[in-house]
Amino acid sequence: MVWLQLLVNGLVTGSALGVVAISFALIYATTKIFHVAHAGVYTLAGYLAWSLVSHGVPDVLALLLAILCCTALGALIQHQLYARLERRRATHLVVLIASLGALAVIQNVIAAVYSSNILQFPVPWSSRVVTVGTLRLNWAQILTVVLSVLAYAGTMWFAHRTILGKQIRAVASNPFLAEITRLRPQRIYVIVVAIGSAIVALPGVLVPLDLGLQPYGGVTPLLTATIAMIAGGVGSITGAFVLAVGIAVLQNLSLLVIPGEWSIGVTFFIFVIFMLFRPTGLFAKAR
Amino acid sequence: MDFLYSYIILAEVYVLLGLSTNLLVGIAGIFSVSQAAVFGVGAYLVAHFLMAESLGFIPALAIAAVACIVLNILVTLPALRVSGDYFVVTSFGIQLLATAVFTNWTNATGGANGLPGIPPPDVFGLPIESTGQFVILCSVAMAIGGLAFWLLMRAPFGRLLRAIREDELAVAAAGKNVLRAKVSAAALAGAFAGSAGGFYATFLSFVDPSSFDLDASILLLTMVVVGGARTLAGSVLGPFLLLALPQVLTLVDIPTSIAAAMRQLIYGVLLILFMLFRPQGLAGEKL
Amino acid sequence: MAGLDPAIPTGTAPSTGAHPMTAPYLQAQGVEVAFGGLRALRDCSFTVGQGKITCLVGPNGAGKTTIFNVITGFLRPNEGHVTFQGRSLDGLRPQAIVAAGIARSFQNLRLFVDLTALDNVMVGLPSQPGEEPIGALFRPLHVARAQRAQRERAREALAHVGLADKAGEFVRNLSYGEQKLLTIARLLATGAELLLLDEPASGLSAGALDGIMALLRRLQQEGKTLLVVEHNTRVVQQIADDVLFLHQGHLMAQGTPETIIADPALAEIYFGGAL
Repeated sequence: MVWLQLLVNGLVTGSALGVVAISFALIYATTKIFHVAHAGVYTLAGYLAWSLVSHGVPDVLALLLAILCCTALGALIQHQLYARLERRRATHLVVLIASLGALAVIQNVIAAVYSSNILQFPVPWSSRVVTVGTLRLNWAQILTVVLSVLAYAGTMWFAHRTILGKQIRAVASNPFLAEITRLRPQRIYVIVVAIGSAIVALPGVLVPLDLGLQPYGGVTPLLTATIAMIAGGVGSITGAFVLAVGIAVLQNLSLLVIPGEWSIGVTFFIFVIFMLFRPTGLFAKAR
Repeated sequence: MDFLYSYIILAEVYVLLGLSTNLLVGIAGIFSVSQAAVFGVGAYLVAHFLMAESLGFIPALAIAAVACIVLNILVTLPALRVSGDYFVVTSFGIQLLATAVFTNWTNATGGANGLPGIPPPDVFGLPIESTGQFVILCSVAMAIGGLAFWLLMRAPFGRLLRAIREDELAVAAAGKNVLRAKVSAAALAGAFAGSAGGFYATFLSFVDPSSFDLDASILLLTMVVVGGARTLAGSVLGPFLLLALPQVLTLVDIPTSIAAAMRQLIYGVLLILFMLFRPQGLAGEKL
Repeated sequence: MAGLDPAIPTGTAPSTGAHPMTAPYLQAQGVEVAFGGLRALRDCSFTVGQGKITCLVGPNGAGKTTIFNVITGFLRPNEGHVTFQGRSLDGLRPQAIVAAGIARSFQNLRLFVDLTALDNVMVGLPSQPGEEPIGALFRPLHVARAQRAQRERAREALAHVGLADKAGEFVRNLSYGEQKLLTIARLLATGAELLLLDEPASGLSAGALDGIMALLRRLQQEGKTLLVVEHNTRVVQQIADDVLFLHQGHLMAQGTPETIIADPALAEIYFGGAL
C-alpha cells in the first residue's frame, strides 16, 4: 500500500502547492509580471513564523503576523519596485531581472540572518502522527490540507463575489479599459500583489511545519506552481489549483520508480509535455 | 603574484561567460537563469575527456562548445515559439535540473564531491602548466572571444539582433527570419559558455556542482547588468569588477559563514539598483 | 465581384471595378477571420490591380488592418485564400511574403527607435552577407565590402523619400512626418513591388500631407502598386485609382473614388456610423 501513502502525501503537498499556484496566478494574470520574488515572500513567511514561535508567540498569532508581514512586503515590492519600473517604461526583461534581484536579496538576507542550515519548527504537536488504516499523517499535514482547501475556496469567493475581486478581474482582463473607467490599475496592482503575498504566506508557514526551513527552498515550489498555473491555463484559479495537486501527486507516485532527487526532472517533463501538446493550458477558457 | 594571476584568469573566463550572457540576455532579449548550467556542461565534458586521456584539450574544448551549442538550441527553440514568460519557467527548470544532474549522476560528475585532479590543458601537445602560461592562454581565448563578439555586432547580424530586441514584428515585416536569428544568438551563447567551462575546469583542476548552480547564473546576469548590455566594454568590465568584490569583502569584517550569502545579497541589490537607476550598466546600452 | 452587402439595400449600382484583366494582380477570395466570437473579416473578397493606387476605406473596426495582417502572413485566415500574381500565399510566413514582393507598414510605425535612420532602412535590405553568424565571423572583409554597397542602396532609399540628410539621425530625433517617410524608405529597401501602407497620411500637417501624396504618386509612376488604408477623404480623392469600401469585415463596394464618395449609403455608414 505504499502507493496509497504516496498518493495521500501528494495530495497534501499538492494542496499547499495549489495555494502557491493560485497566489502566483492572481498576481501574474493581473499585473502580467512574472513575479519571481514571490518565492522569497513564500520563504520569508516560514522564517518569520519560526522566529515568532521561538520567542514564545502563540502559534496562531505567529501565523497571522507572518501573513501580515508578507502582505506588507508584497505591497512594498509592487509599489517601490514594479510600479517605479513601469513608470520608466522598463521592458519586460528589466522587470524580470529586478524581480530576480529582489528574490536574491530576500533569500540571502534570510541566509545571512538564520544561516543556510535547515531549521525545524519548535512545535511538537505538528509531528504527532495520526494513523488511519495503513495511512500515516501528521498534524502538520492534516492542517495543511484543511487550510489550503479553505484558502482555495476563500480565493474563489473573493475573486467572484466581492467588489474588489471583480475589480481585480476587470483590470486583469483589460487594464486599458479599466483605466478609462477609473479603476486605477496601479492601485489595484498593489492590492493584488499584497493579497497574493498574504495567500502565499499560508503554505509558506504550513509546509515547513512538516519539512523544515531552508533559505533557498522557495524556488522549486514556485517553479512547480508556475508550471501548474501555465498547465492549468493562465487566468484560471481552479486550473492552477487542480494542476498543482495533479503534479504533486504524479511527482509522489513517480517515487515508486524514480529516486526522489530527480523529482524536479519529473515536474519539468510534465511542463515540456504541456508545452508540446497544450500550450494554452487545460482550463484556459474556464474563467 | 599568483593571486593576481588567478584573479585575471578567472575574470577572463568570466568575460567569455559575460559575452555569452550578453548575447542571450542583452542582445537577443531572452531572460535566462540557466547560463551556469551550460557553463557546467562544458566544464564537465572537458574534464571528462582530459581525465579519460581520450582527447587533447583543444579537441575536447571544441566538442564541449558544439555540445553546448546543441544544448542551447534545444533549450531555446521550444521556448521561442511560445510566450516569453514561459521561457522563464524553462530557464529555471533547466538550471535546477542541471544542478540535480551534476549532484546526483555520481558516476559521471563525482556528485556533490565534484571531480578533482583534472589534468592541465595542452595546446596541440604543448602543456600549459604554470599560472603565467595560463594567463597567456586565457588572454588569447578572451581576445578571440572579444574579436568574435565585435565582428558579430558590427555585421548585419548584430544590427538584425538589435532590431529584433526592439520590435520583432517589424523585423518580420521587413522580411527577416526572427526565429533563426534568435536561435543563432542562443547557439553562439552556448559556444561561448561551453568553452569557458573548459578553461574553468582545467585551471582549477576541480569542478563541483556549486560552481554551476542558480547563484552562479545570477552572478552572470549581474555581471552583464553591471557592465552593460550589448557592448564589448560592458562584457569585460562586469566580470573584472564583480570578481574583485569577494576580495573587497574580505577587507570588511564579515564572518566567513555568511560571506557567500552577503555576496549573493550584494548581487541582488546591484540587480535592483541598476534596473531602477541605470539600466544601461556602466558601459553598455539600455536593456 | 464587388457587390453590395445584401443586408443593406441601397439604390447604388454595384460599382464593379471594370478592370479588363486576366489574372488579378492581388486577389482575396472569401477571407474569414474570427477572434473568439468576433468575426473581424467575413467572406471578404476583392482584387487589386497592378500599378494602381488602391485605397482601403471604411469605418473603424471594419477590418482594414486585419486584411493587411492576412495578406502579409501575420494572421492565418480561418477560411479563404489570397493570391498574388496568380500564386497562392496560403500558409506562407511573413518573410516569405516579403520575398514574394509584398511589404507592409504599420499604423504605429514600429520603427527601431534606438537605431539610426540608415540602420532602420538597412534592416529592410534583402539577403545581406553577414546576416547570419557564420558569414559575419569568418568572412569579415567580404561582409564589410558588401556593407558599403548595401549602405549606398539604403542611402538611395532614404534620398528617395527625401531623408538623404537624416541618415545618421536616431529615429527618436526625427519629426513625426520624417518618421512616417522613414517607414516608407524601409519598405522600399525590401524591394517589394506591392506596398501596403497603413494610414501613411494620418496625423500629418498639410504640408507633409502634400509631400506624402506626391511621394505615393511618384512610387506609382516607378511601377509600384500601392494598397493604402486611408481615412482622409481628400487624400483618397486625390490619389486613389480604385477604392475598396469595407464595412464590418465585408467588402461593400469597389469603384472609383467619385462613385464611392458620391454614394449616400456608404457615406451614411462612414460618417453616420462613426457618430
